[in-house]
Amino acid sequence: MKILYKLTLLVTSFLMITGCNDYLNINDDPNNPTDAPLSGLMARTSFETGDNVQNVGSITSFYVQYLASPNPASSTDVMEPIPYDQTWFELYDVMTDISDMQVLATEEEASHYLGIANILQAINLGLTVDMWGSIPYSEAFFAQSITPPYDDDQQLYSEILSLLNEGITLLSAPNTNDSFEPATDDFIYEGDVSLWIKAANALRARYLLHESETPSFNAQSVLSATDAGFDASEENATVSYFDVQINPWALVAINNEDLLLGGWISEQLIESMDGTTYGYVDPRMPYMFGTTDEGVFIGVENGAGRGDAAEQGDRSYLVEGGYYTSRTSSLEIITFSEQKFIEAEAALRASNPTRAYQAYLDGIESHMQTIGVPQEEILIYLNNPLVAVGSGNLTLDLIFKEKYIALFLNPETYNDARRYDFQYEDMTVAANLNPDLNGNFATRLVYPDSETQRNSGNVPTVTLLDKIWWDQ
Amino acid sequence: MKKFFTFWMISWLVCASIVTYAQQRTVTGKVTDAEGNSMPGVSVVIDQTTQGTVTGPDGVYTLEVPVGSETLVFSFIGYTTQQIAVGNQTTINVTLEEDVTQLQEVVVTAFGVEQQKRSLGYSVQSLDGAEIAKTQQPNLVNALQGQVAGVQITNSGGAPGMSSRILIRGVTSLNPSGDNQPLFVVDGIQIDNSTFESSGTPRGLSNRVADLNPNDIASINVLKGAAATALYGVRAANGAIIITTKKGKSGQLQVNFKSSFGVEEVNHYPEFQQKYGQGFSGEYQPTSFWPSYGAPVEAVQQIEPGYRMYETTKEVMQTGKIYDNYLSVSGGGENSTIFASLSYFDQEGVIPFSDWQRVSAKLSGSVAVSNKFEVQGSMVYSNSGGMRVPHDRIMETLQYWSYSRDPKDYINPDGSQNTYGNTNPLYAARFQTYEDNVDRFIGNINLKYNVSDWLSFNYRIGLDVYSDQREEITPGPLGVANETPLSSTGFIEETRINSRNLTSTFIATVNKDITDRLNATFRVGNDVFDLRRNNIVARGNEFVVPRFYHLSNVTEQLTGQFITERRLIGLYGDLTLNYDDFLFLNITGRNDWSSTLPEENRSFFYSSINLGFVFSDLWEMPAFIDYGKFRASYAEVGKDTDPYQTQLVYTTTDPLNGQVGFTRSNVLGSDQLTPERTSSIEFGLDMTMLENRLGFDLTWYKSNSADQILQVPVSNATGYTRLILNAGELENKGLELVLRGTPVRTADFTWEATLNFTRNRNTVVDIRDGIESIVVGRQFGYVGSSTTMQLIEGDPYGNLYGTSYQRYYPNGTPEGLTELDRDRPIVIGADGFPVRNVNQLIIGNAQPDWIAGLSNTLTYKDFVLSFLIDTRIGVDQFSQYDNFYAAFGQLDYSLDRNAVVVFDGVQSDGSRNDIPVWLGQGIGPDGSNYGASFYRNSFRGVSENFVQDASFVKLRNISLSYNLGQNLISRTPFRSASLTVSANNIILWTPWQSFDPESFSAGAGGNATAFTGLGYPGVSSYFLTLNLSL
Repeated sequence: MKILYKLTLLVTSFLMITGCNDYLNINDDPNNPTDAPLSGLMARTSFETGDNVQNVGSITSFYVQYLASPNPASSTDVMEPIPYDQTWFELYDVMTDISDMQVLATEEEASHYLGIANILQAINLGLTVDMWGSIPYSEAFFAQSITPPYDDDQQLYSEILSLLNEGITLLSAPNTNDSFEPATDDFIYEGDVSLWIKAANALRARYLLHESETPSFNAQSVLSATDAGFDASEENATVSYFDVQINPWALVAINNEDLLLGGWISEQLIESMDGTTYGYVDPRMPYMFGTTDEGVFIGVENGAGRGDAAEQGDRSYLVEGGYYTSRTSSLEIITFSEQKFIEAEAALRASNPTRAYQAYLDGIESHMQTIGVPQEEILIYLNNPLVAVGSGNLTLDLIFKEKYIALFLNPETYNDARRYDFQYEDMTVAANLNPDLNGNFATRLVYPDSETQRNSGNVPTVTLLDKIWWDQ
Repeated sequence: MKKFFTFWMISWLVCASIVTYAQQRTVTGKVTDAEGNSMPGVSVVIDQTTQGTVTGPDGVYTLEVPVGSETLVFSFIGYTTQQIAVGNQTTINVTLEEDVTQLQEVVVTAFGVEQQKRSLGYSVQSLDGAEIAKTQQPNLVNALQGQVAGVQITNSGGAPGMSSRILIRGVTSLNPSGDNQPLFVVDGIQIDNSTFESSGTPRGLSNRVADLNPNDIASINVLKGAAATALYGVRAANGAIIITTKKGKSGQLQVNFKSSFGVEEVNHYPEFQQKYGQGFSGEYQPTSFWPSYGAPVEAVQQIEPGYRMYETTKEVMQTGKIYDNYLSVSGGGENSTIFASLSYFDQEGVIPFSDWQRVSAKLSGSVAVSNKFEVQGSMVYSNSGGMRVPHDRIMETLQYWSYSRDPKDYINPDGSQNTYGNTNPLYAARFQTYEDNVDRFIGNINLKYNVSDWLSFNYRIGLDVYSDQREEITPGPLGVANETPLSSTGFIEETRINSRNLTSTFIATVNKDITDRLNATFRVGNDVFDLRRNNIVARGNEFVVPRFYHLSNVTEQLTGQFITERRLIGLYGDLTLNYDDFLFLNITGRNDWSSTLPEENRSFFYSSINLGFVFSDLWEMPAFIDYGKFRASYAEVGKDTDPYQTQLVYTTTDPLNGQVGFTRSNVLGSDQLTPERTSSIEFGLDMTMLENRLGFDLTWYKSNSADQILQVPVSNATGYTRLILNAGELENKGLELVLRGTPVRTADFTWEATLNFTRNRNTVVDIRDGIESIVVGRQFGYVGSSTTMQLIEGDPYGNLYGTSYQRYYPNGTPEGLTELDRDRPIVIGADGFPVRNVNQLIIGNAQPDWIAGLSNTLTYKDFVLSFLIDTRIGVDQFSQYDNFYAAFGQLDYSLDRNAVVVFDGVQSDGSRNDIPVWLGQGIGPDGSNYGASFYRNSFRGVSENFVQDASFVKLRNISLSYNLGQNLISRTPFRSASLTVSANNIILWTPWQSFDPESFSAGAGGNATAFTGLGYPGVSSYFLTLNLSL
């Protein structure tokens, strides 16, 4: 009996202990999956890449004076050293998800997913490097270190180009795993591999052109990239928006209408289009932004604020509707029009003015068509002798002037502006400019607080007047 | 002492029987307790003699009183002695009140164990039901305000049913979202006190303890330090509130009825200007957005007769109403007792359309099955909820609403919004609805088995379940002509929170006298806690058909779900040694197994030791000292974490064009987490003197919470924003004093007073290397005046960072300056205006320097006056109200808007500023353009202007009761009757400029208490209460 009693005790204790462990094994998160499918990562990253272009564009649009704040001395207008934590976070958030997509696509041998992932990574990495220069990359995204080291920005440019090249190679070959073929989860091209290859070539041209002020610049390689790029505006790399997730610039316009002021147009842009600066009117204004209640276009001087103008009806700002600001407007990453201006600049630098001139005209026309300018108005503009100067008279100034209009709201213009040393006609620094800039335009962003506070040992010390490697 | 009393009683009994007087008369009467129960064994003595008697089993006494004797003295152990003048009376009925200051005070400690307070080596403070009920607070948490040392309670605002936050001995967690509030235990089982705020604009939801009816409470014991809560383990690392509900008593049936009616009003308004109306730049503009930058009222009246100003905020606020009705029945026979109660509480708030109701029903009983086995049980059902107006939106739109338009005229005949362009505050209040409806059941069964006189078993199982159903509706366009809808789309959101807590507790107790003088009590037990919560949200956007608000009538539907499960198993032992009733040693140990920690670290052990030494029993004391005890304790408590902190997960995004996006969670869990550890040391001295007329409990403590499990912010380049790690230590040190006194005690008049004083200091001892700060919260302020509460190693918890005016340092601003020195002169720029310093400096701290409550009870014959003064000193808060008011020129200080002033300060070279500037808008008298005015350009953008001293002295409660005297009551069917008038929450003093400073927007569960937001204004309430008992 005693043995039986002891045995029972032993067995019940054992049951209790194992039972307890089972009872306590409930800490696997029931709310969130521990794995992500490739299509889920693609949906997220392709869509958010568009948001990232807009995030960066909402900073650079003030720096290049597309937009101006209705309030005097607004910190973006006057280029204060603002730590853009949210923008930095969004970029790294997307690059992290793309890194997961790269790992998973490699595991699954899903070569087309990997190819698109590489191109998306190049776009986001390019946006980040162009704003901040050296950033953490080679030891980033997987918590290898809680204080990731910084990679040199010039080396990161090689990485951008090799990501694009790898993407092109992978997408040019047949998919190695037919179970994973990108489709509607890709909010940019719905899985159309040939368009991704063209976009990757256009992007290669863009990043190669950034080196225009460096010894490594090679105009021919830019031109061979544009040759493999887009053939029409219909092939533009854009992100789709939907009624339930509206275009972020449309949101700026709607908020402004609700008196959360934003999206006011800079005097610089309006004067360069309304005849003030160049003596002729650009027909694109009504397709890009609104008029005052009196039906005229009036901008706000950057840094000066709206003065005694009312909140509504006295100035031009983004208004809902139209190409850039409809709820379901697509958001441009890179366009045929931009590629044409890249080609024009490269050809001109390569002393091929004929090619440059045609590309210049094509760039203007394709932008005008895209935003809905009627053909007769396009022709009037393209026949204006101040625009149609002829190949012999084409200058870099004209290319930059027209590219500036055609890339409205796109962050790429800030890269152009820095390469061009802000030599746009009549462009001056903002009123109330941050005095530390000594009258100069800022040539980069300062690092975000999240880096200076949490990665202080690695983050370089910079000022707004320091330059990205290609800006020499 | 007991023996002494027995001896004393017997001796005068003997005396009484021997000594007789010639001239005598017979006085009879009955002695009852506060609840009307007969009190047998009460001594009744003729003052200054040894003559007297004791009451019989029915509480009745008869005593021969010689002529010339004036006073009878009624006394019973544990009750306040009463002296009654005899006069010509022959019937003297007496009600004895329990004396909480008595030495034999019994307190309820961990797991419902009742212990003599003298035996404890740590600090415990208790309140009885009467002290709770008299506060007239519908939320039990508020009823503790100012009544317990070491406890800080803050209303989150004045809305009906709005949550209140309770902290014992300060914040213990560095985690911005960590729970710092104590465990709540009702009749031995843990109950939920979560506050789930609304997901959109703040609505002021309830903390779940508000479901309890305070009238059902018999007593509350507050266990403060780790030593007191060591047995509860992980769940009580922030202290514990042990609530005992009312039970039936053997004896006759008792019926109590209480009915209360109250009104409430806003207790503190900012000083609004009433001169400048709608418009900008001093111009009258009748459709302008700007409510008060226009022309002076007299000027407009010249051109527009009938133009007038409204005090918009005061016009909108109404008188709130409170109804509270309560009925209880209790009784019992020889072997069983029963208690039942019903209550209905209904409150209408000061903002129109806000209300809250609570219905509760309680049944509890006990049966002694045999003299060894007893069964007790209790269940409470409550239904609560109300209309939660979007107070933050209402108070914001009220600021924009023109001063010259009647804010009460809010709706057009067709049901659309009456507006000139801005959102109409009252229209939003009525139609942007959010209603919650909570059904809750709390029940427990308790089995007690006394095996022998030295061994007993106790098992208790308890259940706390609730379903919280919420519906939020913002209408879209109504489909009428020319309307201004509240939203262009409208939406409906249905939220369902289902929660279930299960607690199982087993305790075996051994009690043995080891020697004549040494007694040992040993307890060993097990408890299991099991939580499951399922939160489901369904949202529909954009109504298809106007005015039909249903999830089916929308163009877009979104859903979400969050499940929480947590389980805990504990095993513990507790040994108490009692040497001759003056030296007490208590040792505890507990092992926990928690589901929330990684499997290999889920088991952890900790222990405590405490000592109570009643030195007045051992050493000869001066005559005036009645009692003195020294206590000391050291305790460690382990703590687990929230569920699901150990993994890496992905989160999904709302479907877009049929695609669900996946993104890696920004928070990386860790499978290496170890339990947090709090070690705490406490010393105390309790004394009473002057025949119990003066007493104090003094406590010093220090508590260190180390290895805290935090979501540590990291470089985003890691792929995460936060990593979950054991990464920090917080120290709390403090002093608590409870001072009790009876300054006056005569036959007719007594005055009793209690002071509770608390001073807590804390320091962020350690944050893991590489992490420079932890942001607890941030609140928006205009143009750079947003203010941040953040934690930095070496600094106290609660520091507020923001922009300030530049201060003058003769040798230049020191490198690495972290704190604003308000005493230094302000630097004035070349433009004549103060220079703004955009570097984030420490501009205040949200933790009080000290808090204190002084409660007084004055009794004169049948009248009782009591009042409680509650004070908190040295609290800084960011006043978002004032920031907004400044931006819109609303307060009377902005009346200097057209003045030319010379700002007090120095120029950059240190010389006195002498530049005159104009404060107005546009072109000034000197011809310069001053833009949008000083208040808009500069003042509103400086955090320093809005981080203000939120100290206060409040009359938390004052009440005057009249108890119907025995002569009168004996002619009625009632056992007792009283009428009380009372008032709550009257601000006696505060330097704060806006509404009641006791307000914060995070809700009771949030730690960012420094931010008032545009909170629901605080209120004062006034009550008339009738109590009857049969």
